[in-house]
Amino acid sequence: MSLSREAIVEGLRGILGPEAVVTDERVLVENSVDNFRKLQNIFDVHVMPVPAAIVTPTNAREVAAVLTWANEHGVNVIPKTGGTATEGGLESAVPDSVIMDGSAMNEIVKIDPYNMQATVQCGVPLQVLEDRVREHGLTTGHSPQSKPVAHLGGLVATRSIGQFSTLYGGIEDMVVGLEAVFPNGEICRIKNVPRRAAGPDIRHIVIGNEGALCFITEVTVKLFPYLPENNRFLGWTLMDMKTGFEVLREVMVGGYKPSVARVYDPGDAGLHFSHFAAPDDCVLLFMAEGAEGIAKATADGIQAIVDRHPECTQVPSEYIETWFNDLCWGPDKILAEDERIRQTRNVNRTTEISADWSSINDIYQAARQRIIDEIPDITMMGGHSSHSYINGTNMYFNYFFNVVDVGPEEETEKYYLPIISIIVEETLKRGGSIVHHHGMGKARAPWVRDEYGSSYYMLETLKTSFDPNGIMNKGTIFPI
Amino acid sequence: MRIAVGFKVTPDFEALRAADWARVAAAADAEGRAQATRYVRRVFGVFDEAALELALRLRDARADDGLPTGLAAFTVGGPDASPFLHTLQALGFDCLRVDPGGGPASAADTAEAAGALDFAPAATAALVAACARQLGADILLLGERGGPGGSGTVPFLAAEALGRPCVTCVTAIEPAGADRLRVSFRADDGPVRALTAPPCVLAVGNAVVSMLRVPTLKERLAVRDVPVTQFTAADLGVDVGVALDRAPAVRSLEPVDRSRAGIVVTGATAAEQARALYEGHLRARLEAL
Amino acid sequence: MTAAAPLRVVAVLDATGSAAERHGRALGAFLRDGLDAGDIAPGVVTHVFCPPGADPGAASATAPTLDVRLVRVPAHRQDVATAALAALQTGDGADLYVFPSGPSGTELGARLAARTGGSALTGVLSAAVGDGVLTCRRAAYAGYLEEESALSRRPWCLVLDAGWDEARAEPPEEHVVVEAAHLTPEDPGAPPLLEIKPLEAPPTGDLETARFLVVAGRGAGSRRGVERAAAAAARMGAAFAVTRPVVMNAWAAPDRQVGVSGTRAAPAVCVVAGASGAPAFVWGIERAGFIAAVDTDEHAPIAGEADVFVAGDALDVLEELADLVDRHSR
Ligand SMILES: Cc1cc2nc3c(=O)[nH]c(=O)nc-3n(C[C@H](O)[C@H](O)[C@H](O)COP(=O)(O)OP(=O)(O)OC[C@H]3O[C@@H](n4cnc5c(N)ncnc54)[C@H](O)[C@@H]3O)c2cc1C
Repeated sequence: MSLSREAIVEGLRGILGPEAVVTDERVLVENSVDNFRKLQNIFDVHVMPVPAAIVTPTNAREVAAVLTWANEHGVNVIPKTGGTATEGGLESAVPDSVIMDGSAMNEIVKIDPYNMQATVQCGVPLQVLEDRVREHGLTTGHSPQSKPVAHLGGLVATRSIGQFSTLYGGIEDMVVGLEAVFPNGEICRIKNVPRRAAGPDIRHIVIGNEGALCFITEVTVKLFPYLPENNRFLGWTLMDMKTGFEVLREVMVGGYKPSVARVYDPGDAGLHFSHFAAPDDCVLLFMAEGAEGIAKATADGIQAIVDRHPECTQVPSEYIETWFNDLCWGPDKILAEDERIRQTRNVNRTTEISADWSSINDIYQAARQRIIDEIPDITMMGGHSSHSYINGTNMYFNYFFNVVDVGPEEETEKYYLPIISIIVEETLKRGGSIVHHHGMGKARAPWVRDEYGSSYYMLETLKTSFDPNGIMNKGTIFPI
Repeated sequence: MRIAVGFKVTPDFEALRAADWARVAAAADAEGRAQATRYVRRVFGVFDEAALELALRLRDARADDGLPTGLAAFTVGGPDASPFLHTLQALGFDCLRVDPGGGPASAADTAEAAGALDFAPAATAALVAACARQLGADILLLGERGGPGGSGTVPFLAAEALGRPCVTCVTAIEPAGADRLRVSFRADDGPVRALTAPPCVLAVGNAVVSMLRVPTLKERLAVRDVPVTQFTAADLGVDVGVALDRAPAVRSLEPVDRSRAGIVVTGATAAEQARALYEGHLRARLEAL
Repeated sequence: MTAAAPLRVVAVLDATGSAAERHGRALGAFLRDGLDAGDIAPGVVTHVFCPPGADPGAASATAPTLDVRLVRVPAHRQDVATAALAALQTGDGADLYVFPSGPSGTELGARLAARTGGSALTGVLSAAVGDGVLTCRRAAYAGYLEEESALSRRPWCLVLDAGWDEARAEPPEEHVVVEAAHLTPEDPGAPPLLEIKPLEAPPTGDLETARFLVVAGRGAGSRRGVERAAAAAARMGAAFAVTRPVVMNAWAAPDRQVGVSGTRAAPAVCVVAGASGAPAFVWGIERAGFIAAVDTDEHAPIAGEADVFVAGDALDVLEELADLVDRHSR
């Protein structure tokens, strides 16, 4: 028998004490959604099940105690840290869920400049860690746009990626060890070593689990020298995305590792670069960093590659540098964006996928055209590629639409999900991955079997083994 | 009723970091003000954006009452205003751009002239007034202030040139019959509501509505080939030279340092911290209030 | 330049509304501290606009100078006031006009300069006369830069920065009042505004004028936390404000907000509890005379934006502080 709301709150208070159990109705309602259904918060019309409580444990033992209890009573637990999730990972899929908020575990445990690694609790905002390691002349190399607000726990849980990924990699390349707590209360620590070949790399069971397998309490990430004085910026305008993808490919295949390598389509470029790019222009840009010789060689090599494409017109690097300096989104920008939506009902959404070099342009073109043709009230449909690899790249679709003739709470069903469907279909058709870095959440969970194909067996077995009672973030990754 | 909205496209100051401003100040000295912020993304002046949206809402509200409204938008500035004008065309504005320099033939001249206008409100106002006349505006709607200079005098100076009354710090505009408007504004001693009869100049301040709606791709496509009317100052019969010569001469620009002493007050407990703060720093100040 | 003639200065005060007291003190403070007229003391007179039936003594009570010229003008008749001012300028040929901040001062300053061929500057922080020009400082680029500009064409029409409203100089106890009523046109023509109705001022008024202000930020943690902070502020006799994240979390009403999207306060003393110091917020308190901040994060930007900083629990420190203030004020 499932517990009543009151019994859940009672039980949690018994474990953590009343101070660590939040039941303020307003706060609970606002926590029934994340950015995926953010219009419900922006317009204050809520239609999702309201969580029973938010708990704020302060150490792994408390996390274990709550999970064990929830596991026994079949109470759904939604892990949370920074709260910037975009794909419904924090959404209450079932009534009377408990949000386990790790943001009180916010201690920087150790900064180890000699071994170039830092250990932090899950609730440390990445910006805080980054500022602290910069005092040592170091950087984490991780710079997602949400850096000022996202926390290390969530960043690891979503397999996030930062703006300098082409040099430093995604979070999976940075995490050397971690601690996580499983539904049965097991506290597991993976030690911090440079590499291992002692069987499969089990870090990857935790990294990207989106709170559907375990709760991450601590992570250790790599550090790198911070040498911003060597940064070099390069930018071009060009007429089509195909050429842009081609240049990106040549740079990657050429063995160069710029930290930033991007190509913007005309729509997306119009949002950032209309002070130097014409309305039909694409924009190609790079940033090279690292030790002086490396940064120079990287910039020179890229310059030589792009010079072989006379259709690219170089622009002063100051344009790119100025843009770059204003890239991250702190709370102020997020709130300003909410206000913009409230006033204009014009909503900005993004969906990111990846594919090999042969398919990426086709996916981009096909999805873009279909969205323009099939979805009403679109005000901008564009995107950019921002994370490249030797065998392919990502596409970050960026689109805006006016919410017309429906309530704000219906925005997801009328516009957002149909657009996601188109992007997912066009990606799957060409063998790409339907999620590049935001996580599956609940938004793209319906396509999990199509994404995994025959390997879904392996994924499903992780869920049934580690979370046999299905209490971890119901509906996330695995649809209900 | 014909409404003409004047707007300015400005560098997005928010996009610069605190540390960048020293560089902007130095570049303004060395290369001229127009060059100093050329790498920064452009935005509508904040109050201008509010004015544009208020004009659209006024048109819609009058349409509900069966009253026709003509909407025009104009800017004094360089070609960097083009994407903004295109957006406004898609939203239903007739658009006009006044090139403060010699027209398309001399881009550098245009940038230079636009930079000079930033700190010469009387020259800007002369052009704004000429646009209002050219467009036959009953209501000239402007943002209260904006841009690098931000003098807040352009609406008054344009009104002076047109021989019209001017209301600034407008926060809301509603229709009041066929040819009157009810405006809410902030006067020196508090908020006020009054009726105005055109012709007049209204300048929008901190309005509740501050963000411009967004046209759909289809609306944009529909005006794709509609040209923006362009004039030079000479076409409008305005000699900006005189007004520019009379403008106050900007001698220097310096970054403003907002940092304070940041003296750290310590104490082992909250009570001790509060005591140290109070005795050491607040007590005398509070007693002097 | 030959031996300098004394500078003739006119302070312009609109006493047709209730802002006259604030503006009179602001003008006085600027004349005392903001204007450097060189070696020779300027001759200063105040032109006071007052309603037709007003008592001369009451109307000129907050004028910053001994000498007052009274001009009788109905409220909200900027057209009449401008005409009167321009006529007076023709008669007495003053060199420098000083207007308080706000829409009325800005309009009169701008229009007077336009009609007399003089030059106008707004947002003036300070001004100095030398070599026949007036060199002024003011904020430009939305406050990110400060500008120094030189005005040559007279009369120089200066509109003060709003910061002067906070400086407050006491007016002289008595005034020598001369009526200039004959300058009011018999038939001022059609009024530009009809049916003028004051609206209820939003209750933020107390934030704008507060001398002692407590601001709670996101660090207050919950609605309950914000209530604790508000109670502490009340005990200290301070006005209470919050940052935008607090409003967004519905922990406090929007009219309590300071910052770019709220009120810009200018208290003598400001205590900031649990706010990190985002620029859009700091803008709302940067005119404060003294800022003390309490936050758990010693690396938060607010630490460097405050005069003193306490690394500690914002609510606990605030409540302890309230005890102390409360005890001492009894
Ligand atoms: C403006 C903006 C910009 C963004 N830019 C980027 C970007 O550049 N790159 C990028 O990769 N992402 C980006 N994102 C997405 C988001 O920031 C990332 O997914 C981030 O990793 C989430 O971190 P968080 O701490 O906010 O996690 P939350 O939002 O709290 O949670 C995210 C997910 O992780 C789970 N989770 C959280 N904490 C734990 C834990 N301790 N243990 C187990 N599971 C947990 C949650 O259940 C949820 O499913 C952006 C989002 C926004 C709003």
